[in-house]
Amino acid sequence: MQANGHDKAAAVRDTIYRAALALDDQRWQDWLDLCAPVFHYKITSFSPEINKDMIYLQGTRKEMDSMVRMLPKHNTDHSPLHRHTSVYTVNVADDGKTAEAVSSVVFYQNMLDGNNSHIEAGETRLFLAGRYVDTFQIEDGKAKFVGREVKLDNRRLDKGSHWPL
Amino acid sequence: MPARNHNQWIAKPPLQQGEWIDSRIYSEQGIFNDEIEKIFKHVWVPVCHESELPEAYDFRTTSIGGEPIVICRGPDNEIRAFLNVCPHRGMLIERRPAGSFLEGQPSGNPKRMTCMFHAWQFDMKGNCVYVAREKEGYQDRLCKENVGLRRLRCEVKFGGFVWVNMDDNPSQTVEEWCGEPFECLRESLDAEPLEVFHYHKAIVDTNYKLWHDTNSEFYHDFMHYHNRITGFNDAYFARKNFAYKNGHVVVGTFEVNYENYEGFESRAELSFPKLPPNQWYMVDLFPGFNFNLRGSALRCDIVTPLGPDKVMIEFRGLGLKRDTPEERITRINHHNSIWGPFGRNLHEDLIGVAGQGATMSPGTEPRRILHGRHENETIHDEIGMRHYYDEWGRWMNRMPSEPDKAYAPPAVAAE
Repeated sequence: MQANGHDKAAAVRDTIYRAALALDDQRWQDWLDLCAPVFHYKITSFSPEINKDMIYLQGTRKEMDSMVRMLPKHNTDHSPLHRHTSVYTVNVADDGKTAEAVSSVVFYQNMLDGNNSHIEAGETRLFLAGRYVDTFQIEDGKAKFVGREVKLDNRRLDKGSHWPL
Repeated sequence: MPARNHNQWIAKPPLQQGEWIDSRIYSEQGIFNDEIEKIFKHVWVPVCHESELPEAYDFRTTSIGGEPIVICRGPDNEIRAFLNVCPHRGMLIERRPAGSFLEGQPSGNPKRMTCMFHAWQFDMKGNCVYVAREKEGYQDRLCKENVGLRRLRCEVKFGGFVWVNMDDNPSQTVEEWCGEPFECLRESLDAEPLEVFHYHKAIVDTNYKLWHDTNSEFYHDFMHYHNRITGFNDAYFARKNFAYKNGHVVVGTFEVNYENYEGFESRAELSFPKLPPNQWYMVDLFPGFNFNLRGSALRCDIVTPLGPDKVMIEFRGLGLKRDTPEERITRINHHNSIWGPFGRNLHEDLIGVAGQGATMSPGTEPRRILHGRHENETIHDEIGMRHYYDEWGRWMNRMPSEPDKAYAPPAVAAE
């Protein structure tokens, strides 16, 4: 790693954690602002049931932008999702222009709607678990997402979600 | 009408018998127990797709009516189903959801189903081929030939789905049971081999019939922005429901304008064989199975009732086995954009039935649930549910509107 590699790895971690906060707060545009124009997003899982790698959702930056702008037109469970993210590894390329990172992520759902909000609102449940596998471009000391794969352990997803993870 | 008092609220609606039901059929344990015994243990259930066990010795496990089942492909390429229960002491033989018996297990040999508990082994036809220390323990009183697995009726039909019936003597073959409703999709599903590309499951606190109702009625399209913007036009409102024997329903087709939803695209180029571009057929099979072909992707929902107020729904997506990688990705995107766990429609549907489950949980007061819309059997006519519940009443010998009473045909024919 170059002398300034530690700074670039720190920039990558900073972007991952800022993205986590933006997504927690449903500040979708703030999240997309952390993504390069070539950004590609996907949620995947492996199913032992059908012995297949699966893609549950994917899209370009433009498609994700459309998706989040259309959210108000849809009926959605209002229970907020919060994620606990731990960056495990950051590998900065030798030229210092790109990086890859793997993080562990656990999603909690803080019930607002639930099935019966009188009973369930206020409770926090484990929603999903998996890893973020991210790629970055680094310019002027800042890291921007080029790709994010949310690799879920889950195939039981119950009501699912309209929101990016 | 102003808000009603309790008596008004629980009074019979100004509709005819057959046009409403009593919510207790969604919430009472005794009725649920009857459904498992009288219905689910006697109907053909599509448990998986043949592409999930493509090679000899591959297996899948599932359950019907609480009974564990193992499905395997033999070296003769036949798919067979058995109770996943060891005849010795009732241990579950195979614990994984899927895999291959080609691999030996710690307690047993390759090419065998092995009960890990006492190492009894079975071949792919269900024959017991090894009882550990057989002669020492049983002498001549019991031998391998006496302790084969319990085999179940099994057929592969309609695009390669594997159908199992717990009843040794089902009154109808799969073809007789549901061949007529599948007629609209038969050519498309049987033109060439299909392959599952998507699987996920939901466990929801609601009754299984409420999920099937949602698949059977399209009046709820008001809930789906996607379906309103891509569908609501004259052709949509002319779309017909067709009722078939055995309680099955087909929702007729029309051309969907997918590109009307921002960011979505036409599915015309990848429509299934023999299917006109962007058409959409839905086959709803009694008592809770759904086959939904939207142009380029086939979805199949299989319910496993877990209690009066709990159901597991397994969702599968299928394309053509010969898909190029690019075609497959496109089909996956088409499938998941609305039907995936993060798609636009499925989340809304599941919120809907979970909300119904909340108001009809065990112990809640009996209510009238209305199925009385008549619109010349077109898309917002509730004929699908009326037809279903008439069949349900026959199987259960209960009136859906008064479940404590014996079945009698509705005053209004179920069409």
